[in-house]
Order: sequence, then structure tokens, then C-alpha cells
Amino acid sequence: MSTNVAYAPPQPLQSPGQRPSHIEIVTTRAQRKARPRAFYAVVTVASMFVILAAQLLLSIVVTQGAYQIDSLQDQQKILNRSEQNLLESLALQSSSQNLAAQAAGFGMIPNATPFSLNLANGSVFRLPGSADPTGCGGKCGLVGNTLLAGMPLVSAEAAAAAQVAKATAAEATTLASAGTSSSTAPATGAPEAADNAIPAPVTR
Amino acid sequence: MTPRSTRARVSFVVFTVLALTAVFVVRLIDLQIVHADALTAEADTKRTLTRVTYGTRGDIVDTRGAVLADSVERFDIVISPRVTLLRKDASVVVLEDLTKITAIIGGDPTALLTMILENPESDFEYLAQGITLEQFHAVDELDIAWLYFELRPERSYPNGEIAGNLLGFIGTDGPLAGFELGADECLGSENVEASYARGEDGVALPGSSVEALQPKDGGTLKLTIDRDLQFYVQQRMAQTAQALGATWATGVVMRVSDGHLMAVSDWPTVDPNDFQGAGEADRGSRAFANPFEPGSTVKALTAASLIDAGVANQRTQVVSPYALELANGGGVISDSFYHEDQRLTLAGALVESSNTAIAQYTDLLDASSRRDYLHKFGLGESTAVKFLGESSGKLYEASEWDARTNYAVQFGQGLSTTSIQMASAYQALANDGVRLPATLVEGCYWPDGSVTDTPSTEGIRVVSQEASEQTLQMMEMVYSSSGSAPNLQIPGYRVAVKSGTAQVAEDGGYGRKVVISYAGIAPAENPEYVVIATAGIPDSIYSGVIASTFRDIMAQTLTTYRVSPSGSSGPDLPLRW
Repeated sequence: MSTNVAYAPPQPLQSPGQRPSHIEIVTTRAQRKARPRAFYAVVTVASMFVILAAQLLLSIVVTQGAYQIDSLQDQQKILNRSEQNLLESLALQSSSQNLAAQAAGFGMIPNATPFSLNLANGSVFRLPGSADPTGCGGKCGLVGNTLLAGMPLVSAEAAAAAQVAKATAAEATTLASAGTSSSTAPATGAPEAADNAIPAPVTR
Repeated sequence: MTPRSTRARVSFVVFTVLALTAVFVVRLIDLQIVHADALTAEADTKRTLTRVTYGTRGDIVDTRGAVLADSVERFDIVISPRVTLLRKDASVVVLEDLTKITAIIGGDPTALLTMILENPESDFEYLAQGITLEQFHAVDELDIAWLYFELRPERSYPNGEIAGNLLGFIGTDGPLAGFELGADECLGSENVEASYARGEDGVALPGSSVEALQPKDGGTLKLTIDRDLQFYVQQRMAQTAQALGATWATGVVMRVSDGHLMAVSDWPTVDPNDFQGAGEADRGSRAFANPFEPGSTVKALTAASLIDAGVANQRTQVVSPYALELANGGGVISDSFYHEDQRLTLAGALVESSNTAIAQYTDLLDASSRRDYLHKFGLGESTAVKFLGESSGKLYEASEWDARTNYAVQFGQGLSTTSIQMASAYQALANDGVRLPATLVEGCYWPDGSVTDTPSTEGIRVVSQEASEQTLQMMEMVYSSSGSAPNLQIPGYRVAVKSGTAQVAEDGGYGRKVVISYAGIAPAENPEYVVIATAGIPDSIYSGVIASTFRDIMAQTLTTYRVSPSGSSGPDLPLRW
């Protein structure tokens, strides 16, 4: 049927060589401005990583400090212990029995004529002195101290005398001469033979 | 995208999630129900343990600060046999390690191995207790994995027997005697416990401990004792006791101006480091705890009482026979050795130490007044020291005195006193008639600087100054004129002394056993120190044998404290008429 409508005859298909025309939606300038910049995103993420890294580093440093503190506290504890041990040893060596025995080992005797100087008026007077009628003094162990068993005498002569005495007096009833012995049974008898062998004090 | 493909993906995801959940649920049931018991048992290895932080027990020091009792650290080696035996070839490896350990600390490795094998399930056994720091370091260096160490605080007495009678000692359950027990409130410390979780090999899991408060340290107890003087007195009394064959001996030095005890020596005595080495009777202080009839040293107190009451003076005269029949029916009183009748003054009665003379003087004052004086001198009442186990002695009421006791108390029989009480009475004579409280503790010094337990300084007027002075003068005559005078002399010093020989009652009567003593004060014109040396049941019955001991101790005291010589000569009172 024919109509009055004009219509365009169908266009021939374009050859394959021709590209079809695209219709693109192009962003407006306003829209382009509104787009978020990649740069800022990169900065944000990068700084997050930096912060995490910094936190990690700080935590490592702090932990390092904590280990150091722990190690120093350990050292302090060890040094404190050593100090206590040395103080204990000092107290033992300062004991009256040890001082008396060491002094006797050097051949020292109590001063029979001590003098005292009165600083107020410069006068000098004689004090009564320490009487030691049996000559036993620090060597007899009449006042015992079990902690001093085996404490060596400092003076060389005493050590030598001790060797001799030990070698000769095997099962003697005399008191130990290599150190202050803990004589809690003082009735075991007479002062030892070394009494006669006290060397005279040497003045240098 | 089609609805079907969407549904497919969704259902795939849901299915995956459900599958995973099912796996977890199965695992959960497996852990909580099926294997629950086994896992709980395993969790027992991760037990919470407590670690103790120790407070330090306070030191006991002498008046110059020398340490007499000290707290020290020792170590225990602790093992968990159950863990130890987990190793491969446990017995062999363990024995090797034990041999290395016992080379350092001593002991028998096979015995220790037996102990471990006998307790395979135990988690706590001691391998060694109380090793020293050096041993601890040496064992630590062996680097043996199955050991761990615990701290053990212990007590050390670096001066051994010096003041051992006073310090006391500590046993396994705590303090047992002396100041360690009596002053425990001052010395005692409090520990603090922290709990922590322990890993299987015994290491504390870091961060798991709960620290509580700080531990409380004990205070330092400062005694009035002078360690060096105490050492000399103990030595001299030991020499004396052995030479005299005595059963016991005490030596007391007291400062006149404040009643402080500079030395309190007992023999035999105890070394607190090894208290089981001493006999049970020797572990305390006889000077405080064992009263005895004092004998003639009381005569000085009698003389002072009579002079103070105004009924006698240095020249009051009596005729003293060897034996006196008491008028009130109390029997016969006799002197220590036979003599013709002597015409004595009061001074002469003291020099001769005549019982019959004193008995006659006794009649000059009534019993109740005389008893009052003895009581004011401190007899019959325990001293202000309140030492653990201290005795108050015995002084009966005047109304209870029988005919003989009425006289006997005035020459020191029929009442009992301790050495400390006699020292305190003589301190009154020396201090112008004012008796100050006997003092052994200067105070308890706390770590925060505060001081408690300081002694009282309130005195009691016993006799007048005049009476005490006159008595001291008479006692100087004893020093210069009595039979023992040659053994008493300290050149340059005026000394006032009185000897004492007291009979010891046995089975209701008096035999040959005596307690001898010498009590004295120097310098007599300005008294500073009282010294009393006493020996119980010596071979000889004469107090003269202990005179040189008194002299030596007084000489040492005067030397120690640099006392100036007297600079004047003693009095010359008439002894006869």
C-alpha cells in the first residue's frame, strides 16, 4: 500500500572500514573539578603507613628500654647481694675474737701501761691497763665463735707456726692453732705450747 | 546477571559459611566435652605460685653500734622432681648434674637421686637449704636447667659468744630466747607475697605478678652493752671460773650515772650461731634469771641503812665474838674464821666482814624499817630491764622473818637476789643514794627514724647522800685494809669494795658450798662504775680468790672509759676501838 508519508530510503550499511560514530558523555568542567584528586588519597594512605611504622618503631624502642631496665635491675640485685655478703664477711672479721686472734698472731700483747692525755689541760695520766694474768688473751678461744672456724691468720709467722704445730701436735688436747677455734668446752685444758713462742713485737 | 545466578552465588556463600561454622562447632565440642579432663590436667602445670618478698629482721647492736646480731641472705636449691624426670635418660643425666652440684655444696649425689626418684610426682623438693652466696653463684654457673633458687633469710651472730646470753637465738620455728624473743616486736619483720603464673619449666610469666604492699623491716635494737668490755669480762670470768673450779660465774659492769649495764657476762654461756652446742641451763642469762643468797655484799647496804636511819655511824662500836648466841632464840651466828673477841667500829665490821658484829648492829633498827631499805635498794623486785626469764629474787616480808632470818638478811642470807639486783643496789650507793632503773636497752631505732622503748630515768631515793658517802668511805677501808687488799690495788685510783661469801642451802641446810663475790665502785670520790664478779660453788670458800678478778675487770673498765685517776688518797677511818 502506498502512503503519503515520505520516508527515507534505507541507507546502505556502512562499509566495515568506517568506524561507527560514538556518542560520548563528556564530563563538565564542574564535574571534573569535583573529582577527588589521587594525590590526596596517596598522601593519606602513605601517612597512615608512616604512622603505623612510627608506632612500631616507638614500641620497639620502648621495649628495648624495658629490657635494659630489667637487665639493670638484675645487676642491681646481684650487686646488692654481693654488698650484703661482703658486709657480713666484714662483720665477722671485725669480731672481737678475730681481732684478738689476729693480733696475737702478730705477737701483739695488750698494753700494760697505757697513758691517756687530757686534752682540756694537757695533763697525762696512766690508765690501769688490760690485765691478762694467764697470758691467754686472744689465743685461747675462751669466748668462742663458731663462725670463725677455719679463719686463717693473717700474719706470716703465725701461719708458719701453725703449719709446724699442726704437723707435730696430732691428737693433742691443745686448742687449734691454725685459727680461732670454737671452744665451747673451755675445760679442755691448758694453753697451747706456742705460748712460750710468742715473737717479740718488732718496731720498724 | 540473572536471578538464578545471583541465587546460586548467594547459596554458595551461605553454604560455605555454614560449613565453616560446623567445623568450629565440632572442634568446640571436641575441646570442651570430649577432651576436657585431659586438658584440665595439662593446665595444672600452669599453676599460680606465690613469691615472697622478705622484710629484713632488725639488727641488734651494742652501744657503739657494733653489730651483735645480723640478718643475712642464704639460698635454697629447689627442684620439681616431676619436671626433672621428664628428660630423656633422666636418671643418668640427673646423677651427673647432682655430682657436679654436690662437688660445690657437699652431700651425697646418690642419696639426692634416691630422694628425687622417691617423689616422682612432687613439684617441690629441697635439694639444699641455706647455701651461701658463693655456693649459689657456683651452682648457678653450672647452668642446670631443672634447678631453681629461693631466698632464705637467716640470722648471723658475727661476735659469737659475746653477749650470747643476752641476744638469744632463733630456732626453726622462730626466736627462742633472749632479746630475739623478748624484743621480737622491735626486731620482727613482715613479709609480703606476690602471686605469679609459672610456665612449665618454672619460669615466671612476665607481666603476671601482682605486687602487693612493701614489706615491713624490723627496727634496730640498741643495747647499752659495750662489746669490747663484754668480751674482756667474759674472757676474764671464764679464766676465773676455770681456775676456781666454779660451776657458774657472772660478771656485771654498770655505769653509775644512768644505771646502764655496760657488760653482763655469764659462764658457761652460749654461742647463738650454734645454740645446741650449749647445755640447756647455759642458754640464758644466770645474771638475770638465777637468784642466789648474796652473802656479805649486803653488809654495805645494811651499813648504809643504819647510817641513814641515824642509829649508827662509821665509829659506832661493838664487841664482836667469833660466835654469838642470838638473844631472841635464833641460835648461834658465827664468823667465817675463828678469832678472839674484837672491838670493832662499823667500819671495822665491814673490813673484817664480821657476821656477829653486823648482827649486833642489826638490833639498832627495827625489822620493818630494815626490810624497807632492802626493798628500796631493789631487792625482792625484778629490775626495770624486764629481761626474758628475769627473776625477782626473794625478800620475805618482815613479819615473816623468823628469829634467825631477822639477823641473817642483814648479812645476805635468808634472801635471794640476782647479780643484776646487787649491781643496781650498789649503783644506788654510788649515786649519792639515788637508785636509777637498771637499763639494758637504749632504744628501738626504726627505719623511718623514730625511736621507741627508751628507758625510764626516774630514780628512787634510797638513802641520803651523806649515808652513801660514809658507806663508800668504809668500803674504801675494805679496799685498803682487808686481807685481800694486795690483790685489789689499782694504782692511782680510790676504790670502794665489799667481798661476799654466801653459803648455799642444800637439802634444807648449809654445807660447804658457797657463792663468792666481790662488788666494788670506782673512783670512790666521784663514782663512775660498779663492778660485781661472782663465782658459784668454787673449790675454795674464800672470797679472796676472786679479788684479783674484780680488780682486773675494774681496771679494764677504767681504762676503756679513760677515767681520770683519783688525785687524792682514801680516808683513814678507825677500825678498832
